[in-house]
Amino acid sequence: MRAPNEIDFWRGFALATIFINHVPGIFYERFTHRNVSLSDSAELFVFLAGWSLRYVVSDPGQPVPAFRLVLRLVGRAVVIYAAQILITVLAIALIAAAALYYDAPLILEWHNASAVFEEPVATHIGLVLLSHQLGYFNILPLYVVLMTAAPAIALLDRASPWLLLAASLALYLYALLGGLNLPTWPVEGRWFLDPLAWQLVFVLGFLIAATDRGLGAFARQHRQALRVLAVPFVIGGGLAAWFHYSPDPLRVPDPKLFFMFDKTFLSPARLAHAIALVGLFAGGYRFVAPALPPLARYLSMLGRNSLNVFCVGSVLSLAGQITRFEYGGGIITDTVVIIIGIVALGVTGWVSEWRDRLRARQGPQPSPSSPPSVSSPPVSSRRAQTT
Amino acid sequence: MPSSSIAAPAPLPNVTATLETRKTIRVLAIGSSSTYGVGASSGSKNYPAQLTDILERALKGINIEIINRGVSGEVAKTTAERLRVEVALTHPDLVLWQLGTNDALARVPVEEFEDTVTSTIQWLKENKIDVVLVGLQYTARFARDDNYAAIRDALRRIAAQQNILYVRRFEAMRYISSVRNAPIVANDDLHLNDLGYHCMAEHIAHAVIANLFVRRFRPPTN
Repeated sequence: MRAPNEIDFWRGFALATIFINHVPGIFYERFTHRNVSLSDSAELFVFLAGWSLRYVVSDPGQPVPAFRLVLRLVGRAVVIYAAQILITVLAIALIAAAALYYDAPLILEWHNASAVFEEPVATHIGLVLLSHQLGYFNILPLYVVLMTAAPAIALLDRASPWLLLAASLALYLYALLGGLNLPTWPVEGRWFLDPLAWQLVFVLGFLIAATDRGLGAFARQHRQALRVLAVPFVIGGGLAAWFHYSPDPLRVPDPKLFFMFDKTFLSPARLAHAIALVGLFAGGYRFVAPALPPLARYLSMLGRNSLNVFCVGSVLSLAGQITRFEYGGGIITDTVVIIIGIVALGVTGWVSEWRDRLRARQGPQPSPSSPPSVSSPPVSSRRAQTT
Repeated sequence: MPSSSIAAPAPLPNVTATLETRKTIRVLAIGSSSTYGVGASSGSKNYPAQLTDILERALKGINIEIINRGVSGEVAKTTAERLRVEVALTHPDLVLWQLGTNDALARVPVEEFEDTVTSTIQWLKENKIDVVLVGLQYTARFARDDNYAAIRDALRRIAAQQNILYVRRFEAMRYISSVRNAPIVANDDLHLNDLGYHCMAEHIAHAVIANLFVRRFRPPTN
């Protein structure tokens, strides 16, 4: 287990807010940062996923041989894919169970699930191909695509980080110019988060995480200037979100996707705002940690186990929606939903680290008794970083 | 079937005007579940596809182009955001928006729902795009649900205030299920099967055609 740190902390923050934002109409939604922020936790989550990729590909000692690197990254993609299939099946079962228990077949429509029940033959193929995604279960499919592309990203970065940036930017611009996105099937439509556009925020996270080269080195050299530059973006994005302003898609000039605040295609305004947020708040952890140590420990624990926490959070959000359906949306129901959720996410993180803790305790050289301060064992830390 | 109690008649000024200059109208079908034809025997039988058939048969020489963007289980707020983007990218003359069911299930506050829908309709009107609202489904269980009724009332109110066409699917389905032996809902007792879809498409087509004829035979006096 790693000591609580900034990356894990913000990852935990993204996970906790994703959980809340995925229960539409919940009272506590108004306290999440997306009310004062043009971009939301999805951008932060993907950015930090890219950041974590940096830890996997760069060994401080000797560089990992390319073949081993590819194997490792493809392995990660498979794990994330398996997680997506697992939570999707759990969600389908939860929806079906709720429909039966409450005798409310309308529930079967929720979350894009109806096709599973109504057109099972085609939809099962779609589920396996990730071309059928349940509503709110659309971040991991993006992550699978990004991790599948990660070997190419990592190897291109080895050749030249600037080349990687140019390639990623070109793909992004091309996707936005033509409105290119992966199709969904059998339900006619498009991916909720377009991998061709969203890869850029992932690659930016990966590049900026490098301390000594490329964009990362540049960002660190000009840190103060960039921070000042970020302020108007953060304030502008905050005001836009607060006043519910977004450019009228019919009024903006062509190519329209460049000027809208579109989430599917990660329009430049959202991307710039997300990066500006990172620029402004990076380093903020050193103020939060001493002021609110339990919060820092809690969110870092979520962030360390982000795949597990994300999976449990996704299913819990759905359970929260069903609870609100049955008991009505009120502050009491919502408070119960939030408390159960926050505790369950914490338990998920804690249980996920059980084995690590046992190993640390039974190892030949017992570690100090306070687990969070144990310095990170290289292998398990690397495994945890990528989740 | 008493159509006056099922589809509140209201003008479709932009589609009518478009048809006087051009022979193609483009329709964006957006909203939850039934838009893409869950419970229908094949993809070609969803209500937008059936609507195309009926309109093209009734109005010879007119070409209807349908763009389907249905996602099941989406609340109106999510659809509203998607709708603006899709409208900008596809330039429809008419938007068919199926909504309400999932907001009622998710217990979205009615005022919030009303705000979302009203502002989206106003935006469409400002941009000279007609809209048809397609309301909630009828199920015996939800006939007694307060929240469900509140969302239904909100839709009726919005349609009246904004003077737009609103397909009262709840009333239509309740009526059909009370007078017909043929099962109109698929085996989960909920989704419209092909017959149900056909009824719905007919309602919309009926309204479109009626509007065209009103325009044609009753010259505008004001």
